Amino acid sequence: MTDRASFLAAVASTPRGHDPGLPSRDAAPGAPTELAAGESLLDRFQAEAEAVATIVERVAADDVPGAVAAALRAAGARTAALAADLGDLLEPVRTDCAAAGIVVDDYAAIAGDRARAGALDATVTGCIAAVAATGSIVTTGAGGRAAALIAPTHVCVVRADQVVDGLHALFAGDAIAGAGSMLALQAGPSRSADIEKTLILGVHGPGRVHVVLAV
Amino acid sequence: MSATAPREGEGIVGGQPLPDGWAAPAHRPGADDLASTSFAERAHENLQRPFQRTAIANATDHTVKALQERFEGTDHDALREEARRIRAHAIANLPAYLEQWVDCAEARGITVHFAADEAEARRLVAGICTDAGAARVVKSKSMASEEIALNSALEDAGLDVVETDLGEFVVQAMGDRPSHVIAPILHRTAGEVRELFSAMAGEELPEDPVALTSFAREGLRHAFLTADVGISGGNFLIAETGEVVLVTNEGNGRLTTSLPRVHIALVGIEKLLPRRSDLAVLLPLLTGHGTGQRITTYVSVLGGARGATEPDGPEQMHVVLLDGGRSALLGGEFEEALHCIRCGACQNVCPVYRQVGGHAYGWVYGGPIGAVLTPLFRGQADGGELSHATTLCGACDDICPVKIPLHDLLLGLRRRRVAEDAAPVSERIAFAAWGLAWRHPLLYRATTGAARAGLALAAQNGVVSRRLPGLGRWTATRDLVLGRRR
Repeated sequence: MTDRASFLAAVASTPRGHDPGLPSRDAAPGAPTELAAGESLLDRFQAEAEAVATIVERVAADDVPGAVAAALRAAGARTAALAADLGDLLEPVRTDCAAAGIVVDDYAAIAGDRARAGALDATVTGCIAAVAATGSIVTTGAGGRAAALIAPTHVCVVRADQVVDGLHALFAGDAIAGAGSMLALQAGPSRSADIEKTLILGVHGPGRVHVVLAV
Repeated sequence: MSATAPREGEGIVGGQPLPDGWAAPAHRPGADDLASTSFAERAHENLQRPFQRTAIANATDHTVKALQERFEGTDHDALREEARRIRAHAIANLPAYLEQWVDCAEARGITVHFAADEAEARRLVAGICTDAGAARVVKSKSMASEEIALNSALEDAGLDVVETDLGEFVVQAMGDRPSHVIAPILHRTAGEVRELFSAMAGEELPEDPVALTSFAREGLRHAFLTADVGISGGNFLIAETGEVVLVTNEGNGRLTTSLPRVHIALVGIEKLLPRRSDLAVLLPLLTGHGTGQRITTYVSVLGGARGATEPDGPEQMHVVLLDGGRSALLGGEFEEALHCIRCGACQNVCPVYRQVGGHAYGWVYGGPIGAVLTPLFRGQADGGELSHATTLCGACDDICPVKIPLHDLLLGLRRRRVAEDAAPVSERIAFAAWGLAWRHPLLYRATTGAARAGLALAAQNGVVSRRLPGLGRWTATRDLVLGRRR
């Protein structure tokens, strides 16, 4: 059995190759996952998210709970679980969903019961950030590792001030401090092109992703 | 899936019994053909599947076009150069970064295991599963697990193993092997998938990829909801944080690492990146060169088991670090092979791969990087001939996102093969005689004159298209057009 010390010693005993030096961590030059100078953060986010089949809806902050309930109804969802990362929006969303006739649970309360979580029609989560240049929404273990993709529909509330430029701003910045056991990016519905390169949505994760963007 | 008789609740996917081909694969995943067949034999066999060549051409053309569109108007070369430096720096300092990663991961409560070789990796993963009292294991796509032939080892340990990537699910059910790093069933038609799934369903399914996928989704969802252990690979390890980064489009990677009570990541030690911010350089290259996407649908940065206040996630996270021939390459002529991020782009542009497909390479990796890694990991005796499974056209160098000089590595492997006397005796005698003859002006003139006269006799209308004596295999598929004498 190889232990830590002998394993690392074996690697360390090898000759050393050429080291060109580590580039600065200040930028990702030429990456298509960064914003161009002067580009609108929210417009780019919406365009990229829509390019990967996300439904994006901009609403005033006060209208978010109603927009979430409407998004669930439009998806035909009868049951939904709400993730704790909705924060202050949790109770208003719960109220509006119940008023719309949707049976709502807390994701945290049912996540331990895989069969029940797997039978949900929809989940609603917040996020800790969104990436303009890729159209990704960023969630964490705090809200639930599987919360974004356990159900056929995922509704995500994004605040305009949570949108960052690109991958560099996300990974080098402090927006993701305290991510917990998982930092998770998702851009649009689950997809596969394994069978003869035919694009199919909703393979394992949701087939419908609806972003409610609070401006 | 276990080859033994199904236990209760086993051998069933989506409530459907499994077909014969699943229970006893004709070709167990991970088994390799390197020792028993030659590249020429495998290539010949694969060339007999006309669909395969069309499918590979269509799929790879599509991906290469998407790649070009993705980086249009960007400073693509600056990004590749940045990535090359990050990878070269990480590999040149691998011992230090590896130790830093292990320290950080253990501080996060991740249990780190150390596998010097393939056999040890198999024992470790199987041991974690049996210690956890597991019956069912779900897997997301992992080339490292193909390298170590993990599925057979887990099945032998009595575990029910289910591949959850759609393509890998088909590969497993057919007892086949993946033929491309990114697109495992590039070589299969929708018709073949329909036949397989219909046999599993016990009814005729339509040849519609949407219907076929939804059949698989239903069965795989059942597997996700009942599995005890989830096994993933890892696209990157982040030294400064102790995290494992996983990239998927289907979402099976996220479910594999979130739903079962134990998560095991099997990762090669060369996957290290110094910093989380390096993902801003490497991720767009991995996804852009792999599929042409700006970013994959899902990126998971995994940093441990479920936290005390988190609603879901595994109770345990294990990482099995695989050396498996990697550290032996450090500091040597072939070190740059460790820079590879497994995007598959070199396969897509390789004129040899595009004709013969991934299976002809005989092991896990195909295309130019496969022709390099196979002899390095599996030895010259069985894999060495792959350094000739290339035209040395250099298309792979031009497309590699981290600028690996594949062309030079392939030439180096050819030199090594000659130096180790691994080339056939007839080939060595022929080249030695040729070298001797052409060093002397008289012999040079005599041999070229004789060759010219001989070729003129063999030619019809200035073209030699028949087999030439002593060069039968080489001339069987090639025509020689004779030039006019000046």
